[in-house]
Amino acid sequence: METSILFIETEIVPPPITLPSREIGACVEFYGIVRELENEQPLKALEYSVYEPMASQQLARIFDDLSAPHPVRAIVFIHRLGVVPVGEASLFIRIFSAHRSEALAFCSAAIDRMKRHVPIWKRAVLDRVRV
Amino acid sequence: MLLTLLAFSIAQDQLGFREREIECNTTETPRAILARIAPTLDPTSMRVAVDCEYHDWDTPIGTARELALIPPVSGG
Repeated sequence: METSILFIETEIVPPPITLPSREIGACVEFYGIVRELENEQPLKALEYSVYEPMASQQLARIFDDLSAPHPVRAIVFIHRLGVVPVGEASLFIRIFSAHRSEALAFCSAAIDRMKRHVPIWKRAVLDRVRV
Repeated sequence: MLLTLLAFSIAQDQLGFREREIECNTTETPRAILARIAPTLDPTSMRVAVDCEYHDWDTPIGTARELALIPPVSGG
C-alpha cells in the first residue's frame, strides 16, 4: 500500500492522478471544507495546528489497520495547517482501490479515526478574534 | 534526566508555553509530572503521549525523551 501523508500551510492543490497499477478500478476523493457556521457562530476561518511526528505516525497506523478490512492500493492524505478561510479545503484524501466499496469504506473509517485519535486541533477564527 | 514537555492547543494556552525542558526521573508518571509542573491543570480533560504514543497517566515514563499533553483533537 502506497501512502503519502502531508501537512502544508498553503492552499491544498491535489497532486496529478497517477494510477499505482492497472488493477485500479476506483479513485475516491474527499475534501473537508471549512464551513461558515461552527456551533451556530459565523466564522471567518479555522486555524489548524498539529503535533506532526505523532500525527504522521498515528495516521500511518490507522491506514495500516484499515487496510485489512478494506484493502486499498494507495492513499494520499493532505491536511492544511494555519488559517484556512471559510470555503477552502482543510483536508484532502484520495484513495485508490480495485473496487469502489473498499475505497469508500476506508475513507469514511479513516476520517472517523482521525477525528478521534490524531493530534490535530482547530480553533475558530472570528473577525479579528481567535476562540 | 531531561524530558521535553510539549503542550498543544488549550493546554498550551493554560500553561503559557508550547515546549519546555524539565528535569524528571524514570519512575515518575505523567500525572506526577503534570502535578509538579502545572498543579492547576486537570489531567482528566486531556490525554498524554510519551514519545509520540498515547500513554497511561499512571504508568512511569521510563527513559522517554518527550511527553506531550493532548487536549481533545479536532482535525478534519
